[in-house]
This record gives sequence, structure tokens and C-alpha cells, in this order.
Amino acid sequence: MDPLQTIGFYVSSGVSLAGGLGVALLTRRDQRGVALGVFGLGLAGIYLSLSAGYAAVVALICYAGCALMFASPQYRRVDAVVGPLWRQLGAIGAALLLAVLAYSAFRGDFAYTGYFGGTFGAANLGRLLFAHDALATEAVALLVAVALAGAAAAWRVRDRTR
Amino acid sequence: MAGQGPDAVSADLVGVLFVAAGLVAAGTFTAAWHRDLTAALAGIPLMFAGAGVAFAGIARFAAAGGPQLLGQEFAMLLAIAATALVALGLGIAGRERSR
Repeated sequence: MDPLQTIGFYVSSGVSLAGGLGVALLTRRDQRGVALGVFGLGLAGIYLSLSAGYAAVVALICYAGCALMFASPQYRRVDAVVGPLWRQLGAIGAALLLAVLAYSAFRGDFAYTGYFGGTFGAANLGRLLFAHDALATEAVALLVAVALAGAAAAWRVRDRTR
Repeated sequence: MAGQGPDAVSADLVGVLFVAAGLVAAGTFTAAWHRDLTAALAGIPLMFAGAGVAFAGIARFAAAGGPQLLGQEFAMLLAIAATALVALGLGIAGRERSR
């Protein structure tokens, strides 16, 4: 990694983590939507600095869509029945998970190889998606179709019951 | 020359995995902390993004013995799957509320 990419990686990581913490800690839906958009911007920067330009564009579009959905006025609040003790235990569990993952990243013994792909790599990724891993692509396409059809059906039922 | 000395600024796979761990933990914290289930749903894209960053980092630094862009491909599919799951979850949440 050259110094420019390295600086881009660290700045994007900071932006992304700040956005993630904003999603976790902000209370209003529009603020959370903006935080998720900032998170997506940082994530795209991380991918770009890791020479994954096409993945950066896809992530930027996907997370902008997520941010719009969360900031939408049609957002509905659903309260959980879980008490504060379980929520606090979940938060401690998240901290433990961070510690375990960070320890395994620090102690891991990785084999480093050279990188020969381009910065964007759309053609090579397309070849991989539609030839080598066509089944995985079709599975994700099916998941997207089912999710969008389910979401549309749920919204239609909601509008009908008004 | 600048950037080529022993103290040159550089990022490696360990740094990428640290960031990925932070993103996964932030997603888990989001899912656990919010009392509003719809807001907790925002933890899914965060966790998927953490996994995607780890995959992209492996593809950039340590891919050997297979297609080198496999990690990037997986990161892209994870972002698409996260968006689809958020759309489904928000749709179901809107339906539950209207009952």
C-alpha cells in the first residue's frame, strides 16, 4: 500500500467507525439515517483504498439506500419486550466480541501475497460473478427478489389496513 | 525518499482486520442496545460491512491459491444482501405496527 492509500484507509476507517457509533447511539431516525450514510461513505473509502473500486461503488449505493429507508417518514417504531438487563448484557457481549476479534487479528499468522488486480476490477469481478460463482450470484439475486417482494407485500397489507 | 523509510506509513492485514472487528462490534452493539427493534435492524448492515471489509482485506493482502478478487466479490454481495434484509425488516416492522 502506498502512503496515499494508507492515509485514505485510516481516514475512511475513522469516518466509518464514527458513522457506526452514530447509528448505535443517536436517537432520532433522521440522525441515524445521516449516520448510516456517513458510514457508507467511509466504507466506500475503505474499499477504494483496498483497490476494490467496484465494490466501493456498490457499497455506496446500497448504504445510501439503507440510509434513505431509515430516515424515511414511513419509518415505524417497534418496541422490544426485552428488559434493560438483557440490553446491557448484549452491549457487554459486543465489547467481548470486539476484544476476541481484535486479539485474533493481532495474534493471527497470515501469509502475505502480492496483489495484481487493478484499482477498479469491474471486468474481472463480472467474470467471477457470472462465470466462476454464478450460483452464489443467483442465490443473492433470489434473496433480493424475495426480500423486495416481501417488503412490498408487507407495505401493501399495511396500507390496506389503514 | 518520502514513504520508503523504515517508519513509512503503511496499513497491513492486521490493521484491516482491526477495523473489521470494530465494525462488527459496532453492529452487534447497535442490535443489542436499541429498545426500538426497527432501529436495532441497523446493526445488520454494520455487521455485514465488517465482514465485507475483512474479505476485501484478505483479497488485497493474502489471497493465494484461488481467484484473487473473491473477497471483493463477497464484500459486494454482502452489501447487496444487507440492503435487501433491511428493506424486508422495515417492511415487516411497518406491518406489525399497523395491527
